[in-house]
Amino acid sequence: MATGDGKSVMVVGVDDSEQSTYALEWTLDRFFAPYAPNYPFKLFIVHAKPNAVSAVGLAGPGTAEVVPYVDADLKHTAAKVVEKAKAICQSRSVHGAVIEVFEGDARNILCEVVDKHHASILVVGSHGYGAIKRAVLGSTSDYCAHHAHCSVMIVKKPKIKV
Amino acid sequence: MAEEQAATAMETSAVEKQPETTTEAEAPSLTTKRMVVAIDESDSSFYALQWVIDHFSNLLLTTAAAEAESGMLTVIHVQSPFNHFAAFPAGPGGATAVYASSSMIESVKKAQQETSAALLSRALQMCRAKQIRTETLVLEGEAKEMICEAVEKMHVDLLVVGSRGLGKIKRYCIINNFFLYINLSAYYFVCFVRFGRAFLGSVSDYCAHHANCPILIVKPPKEMTK
Repeated sequence: MATGDGKSVMVVGVDDSEQSTYALEWTLDRFFAPYAPNYPFKLFIVHAKPNAVSAVGLAGPGTAEVVPYVDADLKHTAAKVVEKAKAICQSRSVHGAVIEVFEGDARNILCEVVDKHHASILVVGSHGYGAIKRAVLGSTSDYCAHHAHCSVMIVKKPKIKV
Repeated sequence: MAEEQAATAMETSAVEKQPETTTEAEAPSLTTKRMVVAIDESDSSFYALQWVIDHFSNLLLTTAAAEAESGMLTVIHVQSPFNHFAAFPAGPGGATAVYASSSMIESVKKAQQETSAALLSRALQMCRAKQIRTETLVLEGEAKEMICEAVEKMHVDLLVVGSRGLGKIKRYCIINNFFLYINLSAYYFVCFVRFGRAFLGSVSDYCAHHANCPILIVKPPKEMTK
């Protein structure tokens, strides 16, 4: 569960959502920025780029023509996510973070990356969906909490009660 | 010896103490100032506490000089409320109802307090070994709801809960928790049946969806789940 330098590995899952950005910022603010340059964890930031075919999700005439455009858009989104993650790290003077992009379903990718790096902790954001939306759309944080072979931190924006 | 430890743990526990509240004007701190670890009798909850001590001790470590600046760890234990009256489908003619006598209630509550004291004493020893500033809190009620309530009142930065590491089938199996009380002095015994945690792992699941702060679900190692 530790790297060659004896540090535990932390994996942070990111996408293009506001919740994911908040989760990364929150994690860096609490566990990295105050302890520079001796960070308590080796940081891996992971983005899962959906497969173009699965993203289109329909078969029929014209599908083949659509796929390249969808793929280009997904690549563009992935590049934006990586740039944003880099910018967030730089703004907090957090250096040495490894940013990786993999193609596939986010839930499976994150669990695989955890195993690959022997991570101690996986950090994911939460959209804060209700029970019905979670059931229909499927929750990445729920899946990881039950299937990842490490401890899972679910970061969500606190609701401000007026 | 055990009684002294229990007494010490109960003294340090903040049962009566109101949680500190921050004013709205106060800016959120950038370090994890307050972590809460919820514990129960399970090994997985103590593994979660040990995990926090091992991985986050540098965030919570305290010295005499930096006492005001360092983070605070709060260990919470929730006692399940004792029902005075219980009914269950047994005996002649269907359901049997049982009402608990006052002496029985007292002895059960005393046993609960002793259990809480022992748990908190063990938790405090673990934290003191790493010089971590710790406070303890005993609450009564439905564990998952009380934890989420306490987290909101205390303006917690991070809630830590253990996971029992059970698969889907086990997690959603309904389990009856049987509590047997034997009163030897009166030569009778009463069996109470109360539903324990209806869904195994439901505390971590519930807190993940309802706690108004980030949550860390600590997974026990494979050998603990076997």
